[in-house]
Amino acid sequence: MVNRTPVIAIIGAGIAGLEAARQLSALGYKPILIEKAPVTGGHVAEWNRLFPDMSPAADLVQSLEAQTAKVRTMTSTEILSINRLKDGYSLVLSDGNILICQAVLFATGFHLFDASKKEEYGYGIYERVITNRDLEQWFNTRHDARIHNPKAMGFVHCVGSRDIKAGNTQCSKVCCITAIKQAIEIKEEFPDAEVYCFYMDLRLFGKKYEDFYIKAQRDHGIHFIRGRVSEVGEAIDGRVVVKAEDTLNGKPVKVTLDLLVLMAGIVCNPDAQHYAREIGVAVDDDGFLKSRDNVASITESSRPGVFFAGACTGAKTVPETLAEARSAALAIHQYLSKRG
Amino acid sequence: MDFGFKLSPSSAVNLDTVDHARYDRLVRLEPDALTCIGCGSCSATCTAAPWSGMSVRKVILGLQRGRDDEVDAMLSRCMLCGKCTMVCPRGINTRHLILTLCRLNRKGEVVR
Amino acid sequence: MRERIASHFDPFVIPFLIGMAFVLGYCLIAMIRVIAQLPKADRKRFLVSLITPKYIWINIRDIFLNCLIHVKLWKRNRVLGFMHSSIAFGWFMIILLGHLEVMLFVPERIHLFYYPIFFNYFVAETESTIQGSLLMFLMDFFLLMILSGIAIAIIKRFASRIVGMRRTTRLSLLDQVGLYSLWAIFPLRLLAESFTAHISGGSFLTIPTNWVFRQFLGNDLNALPTWWAYSIALCVFMCVLPFTRYMHIPAEMLLIPMRNAGIRIRHPRKGFALLEVYSCPGCGVCIDACPMSVRKANCKDCTVYLNRQLRRGNERRIEEISDKCLLCGKCTAVCQVGAQGPELRVAQRERRKYALSPSFAGINVRPMASAVVNGAGGESGGVLYFAGCMTQLTPSIRRATTSLLDKAGVRWQMMDPDGGLCCGRPLMMAGRSEQARELIAKNLEIIRASGCDTLLLSCPICYRIFKEEYALEGIRVVHHSVFFQELIAAGKLQVQREDGLKLVWHDPCELGRGCGIYDEPRAALAAAGEVIEAGKHHAESICCGGSLGSLTLSFEQRRPMVQNALDNLTVENPSEIVTGCPLCLATFVRAADRPVRDIAEVLDSHS
Repeated sequence: MVNRTPVIAIIGAGIAGLEAARQLSALGYKPILIEKAPVTGGHVAEWNRLFPDMSPAADLVQSLEAQTAKVRTMTSTEILSINRLKDGYSLVLSDGNILICQAVLFATGFHLFDASKKEEYGYGIYERVITNRDLEQWFNTRHDARIHNPKAMGFVHCVGSRDIKAGNTQCSKVCCITAIKQAIEIKEEFPDAEVYCFYMDLRLFGKKYEDFYIKAQRDHGIHFIRGRVSEVGEAIDGRVVVKAEDTLNGKPVKVTLDLLVLMAGIVCNPDAQHYAREIGVAVDDDGFLKSRDNVASITESSRPGVFFAGACTGAKTVPETLAEARSAALAIHQYLSKRG
Repeated sequence: MDFGFKLSPSSAVNLDTVDHARYDRLVRLEPDALTCIGCGSCSATCTAAPWSGMSVRKVILGLQRGRDDEVDAMLSRCMLCGKCTMVCPRGINTRHLILTLCRLNRKGEVVR
Repeated sequence: MRERIASHFDPFVIPFLIGMAFVLGYCLIAMIRVIAQLPKADRKRFLVSLITPKYIWINIRDIFLNCLIHVKLWKRNRVLGFMHSSIAFGWFMIILLGHLEVMLFVPERIHLFYYPIFFNYFVAETESTIQGSLLMFLMDFFLLMILSGIAIAIIKRFASRIVGMRRTTRLSLLDQVGLYSLWAIFPLRLLAESFTAHISGGSFLTIPTNWVFRQFLGNDLNALPTWWAYSIALCVFMCVLPFTRYMHIPAEMLLIPMRNAGIRIRHPRKGFALLEVYSCPGCGVCIDACPMSVRKANCKDCTVYLNRQLRRGNERRIEEISDKCLLCGKCTAVCQVGAQGPELRVAQRERRKYALSPSFAGINVRPMASAVVNGAGGESGGVLYFAGCMTQLTPSIRRATTSLLDKAGVRWQMMDPDGGLCCGRPLMMAGRSEQARELIAKNLEIIRASGCDTLLLSCPICYRIFKEEYALEGIRVVHHSVFFQELIAAGKLQVQREDGLKLVWHDPCELGRGCGIYDEPRAALAAAGEVIEAGKHHAESICCGGSLGSLTLSFEQRRPMVQNALDNLTVENPSEIVTGCPLCLATFVRAADRPVRDIAEVLDSHS
């Protein structure tokens, strides 16, 4: 074990940051969590239930928070600037403190794509167009004026993903399964409603994902239409008219809906790009932070002492993020042990 | 004699006999054609689609499957309004793609 | 006064005569060719204008102001304005004064072409009279003026930034020959006149130089070779002139009356277009102005290079340049001779051969027409709102526009509630005007059926073609920014002004440069907040980069142009960017760091 306790700054106290802090504490370090938001837990704290087991997101976040209760956590704290030192980094914080650390872990996560940037979908214009995040919040709070006993609902996959116009050409990985999960959940709430999923490609790669797909079709009668929604109009009664091509049939389809859910994609946190540039950490051409090696060392950056965990390097699922946080903790441990 | 069915050429696409010359020429002149993922945005948004069945997606696919007659029928209804260019997630320059195709004959030669 | 040369001739005038004969012959044939190439109706129109007193006056005024004084250039850049007008006007005055001298002192020699040019060689001691010394003084004055212009030209060639040009054209070999011979003409004239000044007389410039030279040159043996050199420089310049950018000097003198007569480009290589190509002085002002030039790779795709390639007949490059252009029209706005870059490119696109041409004649518009008839409920009059294709993709505009119409109590209905036909402008821009006409006919059918008295457009692309190409007598075609401005002015629309709201108006190409609408949108916005200007605005606003005009620019290639246009809009740090075009809106909204809204949205949210 090390004698002089090195300082490890973890940027972001979402699940990646919390899990890494938990592991580092277990290894005997004293990491410091820096979180911009007033609460920890990040995006997952806003979610309701997690696939594939439909376990409550709150359980995961609470358990992580409980296990990191002793870790020094600075919430509502922004990093004003970050600088390179001879053998470490200095972080100027918004509370006026300067934090000198030997290792920095980027657990900065992602930003949900701003769906209003896709003008043609009318988010922010039409009352009945919401995003995946809005829907999860409704699952949590059961309070959203826009959701009122819908008879027909639609999910638009790939909003701001695989889209050069939105500035994000990558697949966001989790939206397909999230859409199916949310479709099932809302169908359970409103069993009489018709639910349509408009997808470009269904990318259901993870454990039990295919079961979800089968369940959605067989048990819930959810309609899957292979075609990207091109535009959303408004009917006289205020409902939304969705236009797409049913590419499997080769015919345009039009459907009038009471609720349209946009599956906003995952884009890199602009703050992370900013910090990375300040200390000379490479940003990949997809906008996410660039790992030293995308196969063998995803959690390591091109600079010594800078590590990555979670969605700062690309779209990730919750289990992937947790696994990466643990592996980042080990990578930091090895790095600090080697320095002695 | 009535067998209850008629003998007609197979509607199946025989990839062995499909001539790619026109498509090959197209992708040389407008390489964007290669990046289509067939999402159907262009077809759904097309101003001409409701009365003509125009679809850039089907045009690109049809060329690769030897469906030249269908391709030409669709092309001859395009108004070049540019909506498909606006919605294409891959940023394909659909208007140039269509104009380029209109300049190629069936053998894939640019008419002069 | 005495004539020095008894034979009234010296061999050194031969080069000048050769050059003069060549250039005059060439220009005469070229002029006849251009006029002959005009379509019959255009030709008649032009020839009639030449003998119409009103046009004669306008033509003389315009030629004087543009070709000699370069008024447009003065407004743009004073240094360049001075440089050009000093050379052009000074040279013109020297030629004029030369003729005046001949007419005054040796009127019997006026038939000798070269006498006014080499007057001081052939005629001596004219400064002894009042008229003589005055003319001598004026000659020296204008020579000095030209020399100062030449000095600036030399500085500009080697350091264009000093005179405020970021980029300038690369000269071809012949252009360089023309340039250097032009530079040589006037110093050589100064030398020649100086060497002869103690015999023939001179004024404040030539007499002192003559004195200086005589201090170390004992004899007059330098005089004749210098007159030779002057004559040869003139010859070289005039002989290469038709093949260089200096062809713009004679070409512009024909271009101005032809444009005044209302002649338009009908063929990319013939008639008026040919004249425009030759009128291009190759100054390169359009390079800095072109929105594509933010990419270094596209610097050679602006109008000056199109004109050059058209002269050279480089077909591959002509096609490439013609197809790439955004047709924003900014090159025309800044061009000194008013060369119509977009029209030239569209004419080139129109010549293209296609294996397949679309046809719209068979479209049945009866369902759409009866829909608008039913929508009007049998009443005629009222506003017909055509949203257009692009507005279908920006539902916010449609919603705000219809909401404002309701607020103002205007009776309206949609022409394309479920999508309609394209207006035809995109086909026009692609050079397929014949097909565009078919669409125009179909749309006219629907509009006429509706019985409306006002056609409202929220898309400038549609607006321009409805205004220019549709036969809509009795129906007012209006862009929504203008319509709402009038409603506000008439008090029918109440807009609350928001303190601290700084709005910048982006002039869409088709609305501003295309249709000349600049003030109404600004006036309307002023009701909602403080209107500030972009770095470049009005006729010099920068295209958003999304224009349908370009056929070949890819999304990635357009990106830096979008960013550049946004940077230009945000120099004064506005809180919102406002535009009046769905295409500009959709292009900006994804790249902007602040809200971008349509003018209708802004007005709707403040009323």
